[in-house]
Amino acid sequence: MAKAKMMTGCRASAEGAKAAEVEVICSFPIRPYTAIMMELAKMVADGELNAEFVHGEGEHGQLSVVLGACAAGARAFTGSSGVGVTYAMEIYSPMAGGRYPAQMAIADRTLDPPGDFGSEHTDAMCTRDQGWLLGWACSPQEVYDNTLIYYRIGEDHRVMLPQMVCQEGYFISHIPDMVTLGERSQVKEFLPPYRPISPLSLTHPVSHGPQIRPDQGAPMDAQRAETFLTVPKVIEEATADFNRIFGRKYDPFVEKYKLGDAEIAFFIMGAHANTCRASVDRLRKKGVKVGMARLRWVRPWPTHQLAEALGHVKAIGVVETSTSYGGAMRGGNLIHELRANLYDLDDRPLVTSFMAGLGGETIWPADFDYMAKILSEMVKEKKTRRYVYWIGM
Amino acid sequence: MAKELPGYGIIKVPKDREVPFGAVTPAPVCVQNMFQTSNWRIVRPVKDDEKCTRCLICYLSCPDACWVYKEEEDVMEWINDFCKGCQICIQECPSGALTAEAELDFPDGVVRLEKPF
Amino acid sequence: MQAFDYKYQQLDPIKSFKRVPGPEQYVPGHRTCAGCGPALNYRLVAKAAGKDTIFIGPTGCMYVANASYLCTPYAVSWIHAQITNAGAVASGIEAAFKIAMRKGRHAGPFPNIIVMAGDGGSVDIGLQALSGLMYRGHKVLFICYDNESYANTGVQTSPMTPYGAHTTFTPPGKAIPEGKTLFPKNAPQLVIGGHPAVKYVATTTIAHPLDLMNKVRKALSQPGPTFMHMLCPCPKGWKFDEKLTREMARLAVETGMWSLYEWENGTYKFTNVPKKYKPVSEYMGQQGRFAHLKPEHIAKMQAFVDEKIKQVKQAVAVAAPVPTARQKA
Repeated sequence: MAKAKMMTGCRASAEGAKAAEVEVICSFPIRPYTAIMMELAKMVADGELNAEFVHGEGEHGQLSVVLGACAAGARAFTGSSGVGVTYAMEIYSPMAGGRYPAQMAIADRTLDPPGDFGSEHTDAMCTRDQGWLLGWACSPQEVYDNTLIYYRIGEDHRVMLPQMVCQEGYFISHIPDMVTLGERSQVKEFLPPYRPISPLSLTHPVSHGPQIRPDQGAPMDAQRAETFLTVPKVIEEATADFNRIFGRKYDPFVEKYKLGDAEIAFFIMGAHANTCRASVDRLRKKGVKVGMARLRWVRPWPTHQLAEALGHVKAIGVVETSTSYGGAMRGGNLIHELRANLYDLDDRPLVTSFMAGLGGETIWPADFDYMAKILSEMVKEKKTRRYVYWIGM
Repeated sequence: MAKELPGYGIIKVPKDREVPFGAVTPAPVCVQNMFQTSNWRIVRPVKDDEKCTRCLICYLSCPDACWVYKEEEDVMEWINDFCKGCQICIQECPSGALTAEAELDFPDGVVRLEKPF
Repeated sequence: MQAFDYKYQQLDPIKSFKRVPGPEQYVPGHRTCAGCGPALNYRLVAKAAGKDTIFIGPTGCMYVANASYLCTPYAVSWIHAQITNAGAVASGIEAAFKIAMRKGRHAGPFPNIIVMAGDGGSVDIGLQALSGLMYRGHKVLFICYDNESYANTGVQTSPMTPYGAHTTFTPPGKAIPEGKTLFPKNAPQLVIGGHPAVKYVATTTIAHPLDLMNKVRKALSQPGPTFMHMLCPCPKGWKFDEKLTREMARLAVETGMWSLYEWENGTYKFTNVPKKYKPVSEYMGQQGRFAHLKPEHIAKMQAFVDEKIKQVKQAVAVAAPVPTARQKA
């Protein structure tokens, strides 16, 4: 029976990759995800992990190496942070459209300018239109778990999509918490080996990615869109299997915390949900009927599940730790999708957003008190006064 | 209580517009019949077997592999379907065995495709 | 790391034209221009490499014109790469095959992994990935098919475009009479100069088919990264009649614009060194891309080539031309 150990999110990510027996790893240093690669380098050097550890020449090179490795039939792993994630932007669509189910571990980081090592979701959120599976963990344990779950979902023949497993830079990547690693037998039962569909082979020669005509483009796009209609079912199956084998209790799409009778709710993603949960408890003691919905998947966005979880709430505060300058609500990007999500409901909740945690700042319990106060006022007045509040400014 | 949200709909790609999964196509075996480039040419090379020394330079000069040496008959064979009429072979032939003749002079000249690609 | 037998292929040299392998791995039915130099190069390389080969094709003429509209002329496995990353994608494929063999998933042989990149995809936008590949020591042959421009997008200048060439980004005009004012990079030297893991570097042209195929085979038989620089004249870009594609390559060697050599273990071996070099004007005069140049520009090019010839002569102990197959004078 595996014991729980203290470890950082970076270490948990490396342990997950090791458990998944990744075969080609491509590294390049950038804070704060670098420690993931340092851990894996040691594992390979010590002979604990039989893998090719390739020193990429940059993040763009990292993703390219991983694309090639995946096309040739290897389970491939890489990662990055901040501007590294955006430097590799060219490769995301070829990987998703080419159906190469490699995994990228992202310890998120504020984008330049100027240099800021602090956490923000903006880096990975920028890529959300490229066709990858994308979601955030809120603890090192969830990072480890997601590493395995996302490979299982991504490599499923009904899916065949690359995945981004995201965690907050510093807050999760560098602060240790208790993690229970899986036994080899558990991992083997949950995660089958990668079976590519038409790899680059000497015996069955294939061409990957010939040029197409414009009229062949729409069917290609349709094929990719169609896959996302199937992904939620695969997510449900995989999560249920994972819960059963490893003894966890993940809701596949949304962590619903004290939402049942909530009048106001926080809609949040990632590590700051831990502070949020504690704040919900504290506010509840004061009699505030508040709850939290923590989003576990950005792509595919769980539209129906969120409507079910939040439809009855009267006012929702989206806690945004990313920016979307000039966007419809002039704040972040989660609010756009959540509002669109809830638009068709008969009794739409009021939705506003709070820019918090930007630049890697802590979101304090007092901030959640403030947000709850705003949401309560919205419920009283029965209207949204503002689309966006900047916490602390 | 929330009313039913609309669904995502279904996507139906017509059969004649289907594309292979992930844009992966099997490799052709000998020729790529989808692209018969023979209708590009306005001249074709005509060979004189007596002048031909079977040096194989035409064979190694053609970007479209349109010259093949038939070992048993000991002759060079020209492949009609793909010759673009670039005339490299005619230019390079050391014994003057190849001459360029207008495509329209031939009864099977100017291969017409059933439908344009 | 203990030594593992990756079953690298050892390809024997081809002794004569009659012994050139018959099967085409780059089959007819592609939309390259009539008389395309890079296409002929592809055909010869693919023949030399044989069927246990995987090609990486970064964006360029040898992608767009070859693998058009979901059809492909490659009888062996092939994958499209971005123009930026061919070296990196090849690295990933090589690493995957290495781990597959160590885990017993692939019995062998180790594939010939060959990048077919244009000059831009090699030493301009693709330089970073090329350098990473060469540095890391992957067993990959990186081929730069040099048509001296970004041809596929309509002939724009690249770092391999010669001085004085007219391209759509270096058009001659009143203010800039020669068109292109910059001299090109030296691609093989970029690789040789700074990458200790590189095993073999060679230059060749499409007018020397046996030389080309044998150098490819020699490169593929090395246990590490190799680089080849092929001169592939482009009738459309260089503006000459398409039947002269091979002639242009020959003239390039005869004027000293291009030299044929191999580099291995720190030593150079030159071949086909002309006893007497023809003037560059004979080469440039036949190409429309140089038609706007004045005598002083040609002289500048001649001076540049003279310097190159001097270096060749210094490297070659005895300047004796090696005869190739019988060719028209």
